[in-house]
Amino acid sequence: MAQVFQVIGTRPIRHDGLDKVTGRAQYGADIQLSGMLHGRVLRSSHAHARIKSIDASAALKVPGVEAVATAADLPESGDRIAHLGEGAVNLRHLSSNCLARGKVHYKGQAVAALAATNPHIAEEALALIKVDYEPLPPVMDVREAMKDSAPKLHADVFTEEMGQLKKDKPSNVAKHFQFKLGDVHKGFAQAAVTVEREFHTATVHQGYIEPHNATAMFNPDGNVTIWCSTQGAFTVRAQVSELLQIPVSRIKVVPLEIGGGFGGKIRVYLEPVAAVLSKKTGKPVKILMDRAAVFEGTGPTPGSYIRVKLGADKTGKLVAGEAYLAYEAGAFPGSPIGPGAMCIFACYDIPNVLIDGFDVCVNKPATAAYRAPGATNAAFASETVVDEICRQLKIDPLEFRLKNGAKEGTRRADGPIYPRIGMIETVEAAKKHPHYVAPLAPGSSPFPRGRGVASGFWFNIGLKSSVTASVNNDGTVSLVEGSTDIGGTRVSVAMQLAEALGIRAEDVRPVVADTDSVGYTDVTGGSRVTYATGWAAYEAAQDIKWQMLEKAAQLWKTDLDNVVYDKGVIRAKDDPAKKITFKELAEKIQHKGGIVVGRATVDPPWPGGAFATHIVDVEVDPDTGKVSILRYTAVQDCGKAIHPSYVEGQIQGGAVQGIGWALNEEYAYNAKGEMTNASFLDYRMPTSLDLPMIDAVIVEVPDPKHPYGVRGVGEVPIVPPPAAIANAIYAAVGVRMNELPMSPGRVVKALAAKK
Amino acid sequence: MKNFTYFRPTTPEQAVALLENRWGNTELLAGGTDLHDLQKEYVAQPARVVSLSGVNALAGIRVEEKSVRIGAGAKLADIANHAELKRLFPSLTDAADQIGGPQIRNMGTLGGNLCQRNRCWYFRDEHTNCLLKTGQRCFALDGENKYHAIFSQGHRCVIVNPSTLAPALIALGASAVVQGPNGRRTIELGRFFRAPGANNEREHVLEANDMVVEVTIPRSNLANASYEVRHKQAYDWPLVQAAVSFERGDGGVRNPRVVLGHVAPTPHVAEAAARSITGQAVSEATAGAAGRAAAQDAKPLSQNGYKVKLVEVAVKRALIIAAGQKRYWEV
Ligand SMILES: Cc1cc2nc3c(=O)[nH]c(=O)nc-3n(C[C@H](O)[C@H](O)[C@H](O)COP(=O)(O)OP(=O)(O)OC[C@H]3O[C@@H](n4cnc5c(N)ncnc54)[C@H](O)[C@@H]3O)c2cc1C
Repeated sequence: MAQVFQVIGTRPIRHDGLDKVTGRAQYGADIQLSGMLHGRVLRSSHAHARIKSIDASAALKVPGVEAVATAADLPESGDRIAHLGEGAVNLRHLSSNCLARGKVHYKGQAVAALAATNPHIAEEALALIKVDYEPLPPVMDVREAMKDSAPKLHADVFTEEMGQLKKDKPSNVAKHFQFKLGDVHKGFAQAAVTVEREFHTATVHQGYIEPHNATAMFNPDGNVTIWCSTQGAFTVRAQVSELLQIPVSRIKVVPLEIGGGFGGKIRVYLEPVAAVLSKKTGKPVKILMDRAAVFEGTGPTPGSYIRVKLGADKTGKLVAGEAYLAYEAGAFPGSPIGPGAMCIFACYDIPNVLIDGFDVCVNKPATAAYRAPGATNAAFASETVVDEICRQLKIDPLEFRLKNGAKEGTRRADGPIYPRIGMIETVEAAKKHPHYVAPLAPGSSPFPRGRGVASGFWFNIGLKSSVTASVNNDGTVSLVEGSTDIGGTRVSVAMQLAEALGIRAEDVRPVVADTDSVGYTDVTGGSRVTYATGWAAYEAAQDIKWQMLEKAAQLWKTDLDNVVYDKGVIRAKDDPAKKITFKELAEKIQHKGGIVVGRATVDPPWPGGAFATHIVDVEVDPDTGKVSILRYTAVQDCGKAIHPSYVEGQIQGGAVQGIGWALNEEYAYNAKGEMTNASFLDYRMPTSLDLPMIDAVIVEVPDPKHPYGVRGVGEVPIVPPPAAIANAIYAAVGVRMNELPMSPGRVVKALAAKK
Repeated sequence: MKNFTYFRPTTPEQAVALLENRWGNTELLAGGTDLHDLQKEYVAQPARVVSLSGVNALAGIRVEEKSVRIGAGAKLADIANHAELKRLFPSLTDAADQIGGPQIRNMGTLGGNLCQRNRCWYFRDEHTNCLLKTGQRCFALDGENKYHAIFSQGHRCVIVNPSTLAPALIALGASAVVQGPNGRRTIELGRFFRAPGANNEREHVLEANDMVVEVTIPRSNLANASYEVRHKQAYDWPLVQAAVSFERGDGGVRNPRVVLGHVAPTPHVAEAAARSITGQAVSEATAGAAGRAAAQDAKPLSQNGYKVKLVEVAVKRALIIAAGQKRYWEV
């Protein structure tokens, strides 16, 4: 039976809203400390070069310059692998990504940094640091990099071939793995239609509006405080601890408000550098990136080459699938090839599957997570091929998904068997939606129009969260959590506490705390905060409830068994006259009975995963190749929408980023391996004028494990857009776009080639 | 940004007196939407900056009997929103209205728009010493040239002139009034731009100690329009632009001018297109033929062949708008 809620599903004003819309919220750039120095980072002007020497003597002579830092100031990290909240990281690589050691592997890589009394001096002095480079040939494309003849980025990266390290010769291919299910040869033999296609996708950036920033203050007692913009204060603490070899207990990370992250603000860039400069000078040091540094020096999501082959029998049942995915890791191993390969056929029940994944180093920035990392590239390929199969078999694409869609019990190629999931429900909702029911009005426009659909999958994760919740004497609760609030999670976490206690969301005061003030909490990522931190808030509410029941029992001098908690009111079972509200009791215990503080820490199992199905209508101007989005509907299983406005916001935001990835965005490189469009002017993110309102449709198939059925919503909406749009372009003009972005020039070219 | 000394004169004469007779060490500053960007990127490193913010005489738009005079200091937003200009010269106001976003239009000026530097990725990169700085060659010729000139013949540097007001103004027969150390002179905008091809050359013919004071446009009843093919609807540059003007007569189009933007190092006058449409009634067929004529001599580079087709489209659509016909590409 569906639960009946008082708070969940309503739309209270977010607690941080007023501060944000009135400009009072504190971001990293707002930090001012007395005696603070300003740091700047010198970045490599080469895509690939050996650093022969760094001479900072002239810079150090500039009045106002107080210190310079290079890799020599970071302890040598061995080849240790650490788990720092974003999968495994090789510390030597992470360190070199903060300050290059020996070699630079991409243009924009940090090489040195300095601190001065004001930003202008810092900037001028930076130009005086002389770096002597021996340039090496760069390799920029994933398939070029895989060739034996390609320049090698690392002398010490070898291919891990199916789990075995091939130590004979260094390679840019850091990893090759396979997922196998059934027997693809037999599978394809049963197919009535087989379609095989190749795809290329460009490197794209998360494009968060707030650039990275960090301020560090190293005290003489060896304690360091770091203020920064991060998705995870505890992962910053862990990374800084490993990179600088200081115990975590000596590091306090204060997460400030965050102007977007999308996965890109998990890895550290500036934090250890600011800490080193602060240690050297004895003063606080603040470093801000500019936009070019964000594009060139921080992790985008990989460009990729993907080949997909799918076979279906004549009834339209998928019988076999094969995929080859090569992802650009950038400068250091670690692209999201694993999740990409797991997601590529994850929406379907296919009995015979073979997937090959390759993680490949190229001379681009080390890639970082970006909203459903790896899945969007993969879905662009697989969902386009699915569309071709539907057309060949003349099956409605949603009908096809109903027939083949994954459900509880389906085995994914990489092993897991799905628990209760909502793929089919999203397709059913899409099929019934007025957008899909209404025919695409032909003749309402002079230009060809087409409709496309695509589905997408993303895991969503659990991981650890801690909260404490103190009952105030006015009946409110102060909730302390460790999850940075990117998309409205203060309110969605607070609402779960409020629901459990039977109080109003407005009576919870959520605070995102520093690492000394709250228990360990994993990153804001993996669509996990409303799920896991919300779960912790639910548990803390149970803790409060028990304590309040005890206080009531003491007050009434009765047994604990004799008191019950019912929607914010405590009653005695044996005496209907004996009842007290949460608020009244909170007031009372201030004077007698003692303070109530609830706490909880959770490490829940992973939710069942999130599915989305998107419908898009486009119009293609055949003269200019420009694709306009006319109508866009994003249907998604959210488990349970705690605060529907922020769920819709996530869906719309994800869809918009997917549209930008589909039509506009790309890192453009010249022959020297330099990014040529490192500004928002030349890197074309769509604006509101380029988009229609995205219609977000929430489907709720509750996750059976979570107290309120939450599944997590943040990532999967970015997955379907490129494929849905490519399919719509085909419907409009009959060309298959197999390369992202599908920019006007490419579309015109494809149209010309068709003629 | 490199430190600089800031001057704030109050008359054009004072401003010009503060300039030097060589480029680079002293720069004029209007709205700063281009100059400050170049300074931040270290592409421009002036030691002296002469601000025009105190020169009140540069502001203002005056519609007079014979001509329209727009001060060099007029903001792009003021041009875009001026009722009389919109009626007379929609080609100009439409072009102004599509520039950047509101912030850029509120700060950017007409003078700055005409004198702004090109957007070539190599030129704008601090570390690339191209022909327009002190280097020996143009890297776009055989490099990244998706957005560069398609009328590239004879050019050592294949930038495109960035101004989208310029093609509209040239098609309308406008002139610039220029203040130099020895007084004022008038330069037809059709002769104002040049293709830079050597170290430290600019995109226009002004001397380093000249400044634009105003632009005058003859008053007329010319049909006129500008059409830009854009990737995004805001904060973006056109891929190709066409500005057209003509007299309406019984025997069809008379004295047409077709000027293309973003296809050549200067605004590009497409004479063949003008010939093609002369004496014709504007229709999809005749406008399309003019578009093809406009594109006919194009010599694209390795990556910008797609623009040739866009020239055809832009000219065709600009003619159709100017003739007041139904915009077949809109619902
Ligand atoms: C996001 C974005 C999008 C844009 N899109 C477009 C577009 O689509 N079309 C377009 O045309 N432009 C576009 N622009 C450019 C914009 O129009 C110019 O930046 C602006 O017009 C420059 O005016 P300003 O007053 O700010 O000039 P400044 O930056 O102050 O000066 C620019 C240059 O002109 C010189 N200068 C200024 N005034 C004079 C004068 N009176 N006499 C002589 N020299 C002078 C300066 O010395 C400097 O070299 C765009 C800019 C941005 C940032």
